[in-house]
Amino acid sequence: MNIFKSYHLGTLIRNLAVYATLTFFALVMLFPFLYMLTTSFKTPADTFRYPPRMLPRDPASIEVAGFDRPLPLYYVTHNGQEREFALAQSNLRTGTFAPADNLQASVERMLADVRPTGGEGSQQTIIVNGKEEKLYDITLDGQVVPMVLISQTTVGEFIDPKNPSVKVYQNVRLSTPVEDITWHPENYSAVVELQGLDRALSNTALVTILVVLGQLATSVIGGYAFARLKFPGRDSIFVIYLGTIMIPFVMLIVPLYQLMVLIGWTNRLAALIIPWIFTAYGTFLMRQFFITVPKEIEEAAVLDGASRLQILTKIFIPASVPALATQATFTFLYAWNSFLWPLVIINVGNSENHVLTLALNVLRGRASDTPNLILAGAAIAIIPPLIVFILGQRFFVESVTSSGVKG
Amino acid sequence: MNDLKNPNTQTELILRLMPAWRILFFLIALAGIPVLWAQDFAAALKVVFSALLGVAALASLVSVPYLLHRDHKGRMISLVLDYLGLLFCLVGVLQVGQVFTGIDSLGAVFQRGLPFLGIVLVGYLFGAASELYPNDPQRQKNLRNTGKVVLILGFIAFLLAVNVFTGLFNFLTRLLQPTGLSMIFGATLFGLSLWAMWREASAQTFNAKTSHEQMISGWLFLSPNLLGFLIFFAGPLLLSFYFSFTNSDAFNPPQWIGVDNYARILNITIKPLNDFAQPARDVLDILVYDEVGRMKIGDGGILFGAQDKFFWLALRNTLTFALFAVPLSVIPALFLSNLLNMKLPGMKFFRAVYFMPSIAAIVGISLVWQWLYNATIGYINYFITVGVEFLNSGFGLALIDPKIQWTSNSGTALLSIIIMAAWQTMGFNTVLFLAGLQNIPGELYEAATVDGAGSWAKFWNITLPMLAPTTFFVVTTTTIQAMQVFEQIFILMNPPEGPGNSTISLVLYLYRSGFQNFQQGYASAIAWVLFIVIFGLTLLQFQRQRKSSIYEG
Amino acid sequence: MLRKSFLLVISLLLIASFALGACAPAQPAAPAQPESPAQPESPAQPSTSGESAAPAGDEDVTIRWRTRPDNQEEINVYSNISQELDSKLDGMVLVYEPGGTEGSNYQDQLRTEVAAGTAPDVFWIPGTDIADFAERGLILNISELAAQTEGFDVDAFYPGPMYHLTYNPTNAQSGANSGALWGLPRDVSTFALYLNLDLIAEAGAPDPRELAANGEWDWDAFLDVAQKTHALGSDIYGYGANAWWGPYGVWLNAAGGGFFTADRNACGLDSAASLAGLEFQRSLYTEYGVAVPYGEDSEPPFRAGKVAMFQNGRWATPGIRTVEFEWDVVELPKGPSGSQGNWLFWGAYVINAKTANPEQAWALVQALTTAETQGKVAALGANIPSRVGQEAFDAFLTFTPPANNQAFLNGLADNPATEGPLWTGSWPQFDQIMGPAVQAVLTGSRSVEDFGATICEEANKVFTP
Repeated sequence: MNIFKSYHLGTLIRNLAVYATLTFFALVMLFPFLYMLTTSFKTPADTFRYPPRMLPRDPASIEVAGFDRPLPLYYVTHNGQEREFALAQSNLRTGTFAPADNLQASVERMLADVRPTGGEGSQQTIIVNGKEEKLYDITLDGQVVPMVLISQTTVGEFIDPKNPSVKVYQNVRLSTPVEDITWHPENYSAVVELQGLDRALSNTALVTILVVLGQLATSVIGGYAFARLKFPGRDSIFVIYLGTIMIPFVMLIVPLYQLMVLIGWTNRLAALIIPWIFTAYGTFLMRQFFITVPKEIEEAAVLDGASRLQILTKIFIPASVPALATQATFTFLYAWNSFLWPLVIINVGNSENHVLTLALNVLRGRASDTPNLILAGAAIAIIPPLIVFILGQRFFVESVTSSGVKG
Repeated sequence: MNDLKNPNTQTELILRLMPAWRILFFLIALAGIPVLWAQDFAAALKVVFSALLGVAALASLVSVPYLLHRDHKGRMISLVLDYLGLLFCLVGVLQVGQVFTGIDSLGAVFQRGLPFLGIVLVGYLFGAASELYPNDPQRQKNLRNTGKVVLILGFIAFLLAVNVFTGLFNFLTRLLQPTGLSMIFGATLFGLSLWAMWREASAQTFNAKTSHEQMISGWLFLSPNLLGFLIFFAGPLLLSFYFSFTNSDAFNPPQWIGVDNYARILNITIKPLNDFAQPARDVLDILVYDEVGRMKIGDGGILFGAQDKFFWLALRNTLTFALFAVPLSVIPALFLSNLLNMKLPGMKFFRAVYFMPSIAAIVGISLVWQWLYNATIGYINYFITVGVEFLNSGFGLALIDPKIQWTSNSGTALLSIIIMAAWQTMGFNTVLFLAGLQNIPGELYEAATVDGAGSWAKFWNITLPMLAPTTFFVVTTTTIQAMQVFEQIFILMNPPEGPGNSTISLVLYLYRSGFQNFQQGYASAIAWVLFIVIFGLTLLQFQRQRKSSIYEG
Repeated sequence: MLRKSFLLVISLLLIASFALGACAPAQPAAPAQPESPAQPESPAQPSTSGESAAPAGDEDVTIRWRTRPDNQEEINVYSNISQELDSKLDGMVLVYEPGGTEGSNYQDQLRTEVAAGTAPDVFWIPGTDIADFAERGLILNISELAAQTEGFDVDAFYPGPMYHLTYNPTNAQSGANSGALWGLPRDVSTFALYLNLDLIAEAGAPDPRELAANGEWDWDAFLDVAQKTHALGSDIYGYGANAWWGPYGVWLNAAGGGFFTADRNACGLDSAASLAGLEFQRSLYTEYGVAVPYGEDSEPPFRAGKVAMFQNGRWATPGIRTVEFEWDVVELPKGPSGSQGNWLFWGAYVINAKTANPEQAWALVQALTTAETQGKVAALGANIPSRVGQEAFDAFLTFTPPANNQAFLNGLADNPATEGPLWTGSWPQFDQIMGPAVQAVLTGSRSVEDFGATICEEANKVFTP
């Protein structure tokens, strides 16, 4: 079993290739989850950064003597060394100037430092390439040269925090800020407060528990009747049940909605629960399992004078724990993740009755400028089933497996 | 007087009362019909309910002679009627006690109860852990007892946290009013009469056979499921069929319009084009049809027009989605399951990781992918950029970074949904395939090895044919799911129909027709067409599966 | 495992306790939003039938109302207003419930709820949806209530919105005596360009605010600024707008065209002026490539400092106040027609046709549209009061940042086109046809000529002859 026990080089290479492929796919599968988790701990500004980074970071700042606020730190190249400098001023306008007769020989100057040639109000101009351009006095090597302004931009003034008189000027937007990895768990409390996600979470749990328990109960007794009790009409009803298994839910959404309007269950959690506890599929699944239970055990119990209910609870239910688990698993996931029906039935303004998927749907619009909060909300919806899954991993996977074999 | 203590006399007395009770029932049910009509709700339902009441009344009346003759039919009718009456009254008690609507207020306190449910679970796990020590009875017993104590304490705490006792009190006070009391009275009456007929003694009197007993238990056991199924599934399904022939709009009573809805959906036209760029109005009756799309053939082509262009766009998108998403999630799954089946260490870990996306809520997952797909700051474009730069610098290529506008370009919007859906269902299918693989007997491979077959030959000649049932199951379920794609689109796209209607799907269009434009009759017709399409696809796969298994055999 | 039947018993007990727990009244637990009115006696949840919790007083009726907030700040303001009005208005308890946002289908959800009978008593809807709601009978005609109200004056509000709010489809009349009043406008808004001043300075581009002050702010100047800023890098865009009818409609209006013909009963998208406007906009996206690709949400890149000019309404202001760069607003550039082609956006508070308490609802609608209430909403920065008057303007100008609030008022003064429903057709259907077609043009997959040749044939189907 151990790859290192393999003597053949070929086998070893093959196994390594298998692991490499599996790892690649595992990364593909995991990446969105990792992204969700780390982003949910970021600040909004951090989420809008490009290129994107996995870990949450905050810009670092530093107190510098002579400034009343902490200054943001940037990486700056000073005397050939990369240093951490503080941004003292931004948006300083600079211009690129050149003599009109030699546009290649350009120099850069702060706009605040240059004067118009001929003074304010009577600035001289010159024709360059058929266009009239203003002239400015530029000091170059101790001489004043009239030049034209070719282009202008802005720079920031970066200072050495330890020695504020050392200054470097460069573009702020393209400079790399100094950042620390900082996690923001408060995003979670913020999103809970913003959207009432705690209530949505408990509502979802309530709905899910009731649907799972209710469905198991009706399926077990229905499945038992189909599997073990002979009565006229049973088989034709079973065929009808079978036939409806592949009918998609959307077929029912309009009439079921009208039914809910009629009995006044719109905007009620009851509408998310009661219609869902009767399922043809679950009954079918239980029936399939019950017919595999040996008849002899049952007959022995009947001889002992056990009632049908006793037979069901003492013999059939214990014997069918795997089937029950399978159905509970699917129902759990279905109820936890369902969206279309709650969307139709629960008012968008009634956040007291929201389930998680609905709350997320509102959240995505309301927090569209803070992806960190949206993803924190998504994490709240996604993580509980994942925890359940990790705890009962083997069991979960096996239930899927058995459904596939049975199906 | 002593006669009354004799069970036989008792039975006799009860059975003499029975016909009277049935006649009373008949009168009450008849009286119920005008009361029903005085209520204020939909006329269609009044008809249904009146009919039900009428049938019940009639049945009750019919049962009287049978009862008098001690015919078993009388007992059966009596049992059914009383049982239904009991159920009705019990539901009525719950309704009057506001249990159904009260689930909302339970939502408010459930949060507090949730941790205690956790304690209940812990207690249960203690008990379950006792199984780990089959050889240590003392330890087992200790664990079990601890478990039980924790479980019961947790449960009591839960009950207190969700105000069960206040609830009980409220429930009872609500019942103390005319409706509630009459419901309780009714339930008692029905219950008593049910019990009277159910008794062993009555059964004997009516000459019940074992088959009769089994029939009664059968229907009894099936009844909760069947009633729920009828009310919340079969009934609405028939209603949906009826709606599809009406102009129901959720505000006004529906009017029968025959097959107009279906005619509107299916009204398409196909016209040849002399010149591919020819405007649609040259060949189409533009007042009826809109252009859905055109296909190039030589210089000319074919133009598809439809009265309801959105339906056909939705059908096209949905089929395209299924056509790509299904293979994209099935083929890699088949490949991965074969790798996982190599029985190397750590495979369980990979299996678990692959399974994770299929557990997560699609709504949440779509929100995550929405930001991954973001064209300016998303990771997917970033990876592409990094890859392009790597190729350009490493291999001297001059590739251009495509900067794909994933969700906002009509060419890639559906593709982004396809990729995400494939990502989400792949792991689930992998696990299904893995189960199928593990059911293939190892001897087959051993024999093939002896015959000198290579890995590929084994895969083609053993694995694939033996996996055929699993493949059929996987492909069918994935296709059925794919045909109902909605949530991913609704969340990921803004607006949901996507750029240039490129992601409008059948279910999305159904939702839009039924709940935004309020053409609920039309939406029902769409639902039925959708069902027929799904049914047809499944049938097609079924045929193929049958064919391939014939070839094997 | 424990005995299996034990598990069963536990499950049954659990169900029973759920059923009983359901009968317990909801505790006045912490409300979902701490800002929302938290009187202990008010129902903890907005119950539709009022049966789940004890009413606050003996005769007080509960009036639920809803708006479409775009962010938490707006929710807070409306919650506070609800709380204040609650103490002012006698005989009713107000429950404010924030609706979904535009991205989560606010109006569609409302339609479903009105149909189901669970919609709030008073709700806000965008101006374009008034006709659809009115003609479906989802909202109440309050003209009679208004006639009985002393001192109520239709003309106190902007005439554009009031034209539609008093339009009577049965006699095709509009105005104070038309016999129809569907609601009152909550506020109005116009478009402006949000400027990233850092980017514009870095690009050395002229300041649009100065150009506008000098009367030089036209399409050419706009394109110049957009191109100069876009030259800073391929990931820097000169212009950004979101993908709905508002932003693209502006360019059509400014070129002298529009969505409809002048009497709003036919499609006007194929007029030469409309096509010229669309053509200029297309060139921004495809030829010059200075705009954030059509369909991408432009707000994230703007907030990330990558867009120089972001076209949006006043409602974007609260969110943009948190950005870290220097910003301001400027009015839209004037188009060939000499006008900005701006929109007068509006939405109205309307009354649910199925409300049990129309009088109280009408009182609430009035209270929500007083100058005082509107001032509070405006202070938040989200919108401009819907009452005409210099006082409202003067107050609005003080709600900074942005410093240049005048830009919004300039848009209002420059003969904007009023957002409006189609009384002779279906606006939602028109939008569903127009949107994808325009998108195809702006993403370069369809030519303007092709668009012009076919669009009106399709779009004219939504008008009832």
